[in-house]
Amino acid sequence: MESKEYFKKLALNLMFEISDEEAENIIKEFATFNEQLNIFDEIDTEGVEEMVYPFDVETTYLREDVPDHYLTKQEALSNVSKEVEGHFVLPRVLK
Amino acid sequence: MRIADIINQDGDKRCFDAYQKAQDVQGKLNATITFIDPKDQLEEAKEGKLYKIPVAVKDNYNTKGILTTAGCKILDNYIPVYDATVVKKLKEAGAIMIAKSSMDELAMGGSNLTSIIGPCYNPYDLNRISGGSSGGSAVLTAANVVPIAIGSDTGDSVRKPASFTNTIGVKPTYGRISRYGVIPYASSLDHVGYFTNDVKDAALVLECIAGRDDNDLTTSDLPVPEYSKLLNDDIKGKKILIFKNVVDVIDNQDVLDGFNKVVEGLKERGAIIEEVSFDDTLLKAILPTYYVIANAESSANHSNLDGVRFGHRIEGEDTDQIMINSRTAGFGPLLKKRFIIGSYALFEDNQERIFRKAQKIRRLINDDIYAKLKDADCLLAPASGKPAPLIDNDKDADELSNEY
Repeated sequence: MESKEYFKKLALNLMFEISDEEAENIIKEFATFNEQLNIFDEIDTEGVEEMVYPFDVETTYLREDVPDHYLTKQEALSNVSKEVEGHFVLPRVLK
Repeated sequence: MRIADIINQDGDKRCFDAYQKAQDVQGKLNATITFIDPKDQLEEAKEGKLYKIPVAVKDNYNTKGILTTAGCKILDNYIPVYDATVVKKLKEAGAIMIAKSSMDELAMGGSNLTSIIGPCYNPYDLNRISGGSSGGSAVLTAANVVPIAIGSDTGDSVRKPASFTNTIGVKPTYGRISRYGVIPYASSLDHVGYFTNDVKDAALVLECIAGRDDNDLTTSDLPVPEYSKLLNDDIKGKKILIFKNVVDVIDNQDVLDGFNKVVEGLKERGAIIEEVSFDDTLLKAILPTYYVIANAESSANHSNLDGVRFGHRIEGEDTDQIMINSRTAGFGPLLKKRFIIGSYALFEDNQERIFRKAQKIRRLINDDIYAKLKDADCLLAPASGKPAPLIDNDKDADELSNEY
């Protein structure tokens, strides 16, 4: 069974932190989850193709490369907390 | 409240009334995240099929210039620069939005207990949950604030709250309505859905918001009929299958009595009622299959919620730390749990065994249901096995359960 440290590391890979309590809860839920996964082993999927979308009907097409649908610079910046002269502001990368 | 009940009222007045009523019930029901003053919309209202009908929209629909939080802290300051297609179509039909309704965080819950504004309460019994994740929309419809409320359904997030609040919840076929501008949960499972108090209203709404949208390439090319004109009450000879596996595990007598009453009514009207059983192992696999696919897709979809370009930013010493701080503070514990499990299923070592296996089982489930349904008109089952749970007993509502 995976440990608290395992899940804390996994969380960090997803760019967030979890508390000890949250890690404990995940361990519990993980146990239920693994139990449920046992049913996967009971089902023979030999030769079965993955179903990625609910339908196999083709609905995706390529279109002409004509600019159609875009954000203005102003729109793109409208939700950022720090903006300077039309740029997103972040801490210095090179110290 | 149905459209027929308010259609003869003055258009402007009924929208202002709805806007006021949404605020009046907020203390008791807590169903709204943002109230929208209808004044400006009324001035520009188009003369469409929903002309000056007040509607509520779940807060995961992008609404230009209006706060859109998806019930989640990390988006508690997010103001979209565009309208979702459904919002655009509602405007074209003349509908007037008066509220962005409460929802479980990022639509990833079934109780509406995880919204940033706290729980949404069931108007039939304030001690009970509304169900989620489209709880706010269900409640505003059930409480007769609006006749129509838009929600979304990935794993029953319209159907369950509809069942818990005595409203009509519609989850149309995937691809029938555009998801463009809807903050996603799982892209291959998300559906636009909605609530009404009348089947006639449900048909009218569908014909207004359905249709092909090139901004959402999963939408169907099939034409949109005038559903409201197709309604009739003749079901003689229609073949209705009762979902035996579901009915057999329900032990709540009230639910069974109510369901049997419906079945008897359908029989009296000339429908042919039969029972159908699906493969039990496949049915038991539905929950883990859904859980794996939904949370895997979701963890990928929401990797862009990082506080860098939008959303609630918590500062840090470098970009990585900004993302970590913002996501740690911005996501509730349920979200984090689901992202972790979803991401676990995508690890190289696990992908074949868990994620791809789930996708294969998905096909098998689909095939089994399709094979048994293809000669029938309808599959019937209760949407929930019991009435809306009490809030205090339901603190673990969103924990993964082994109960069938």
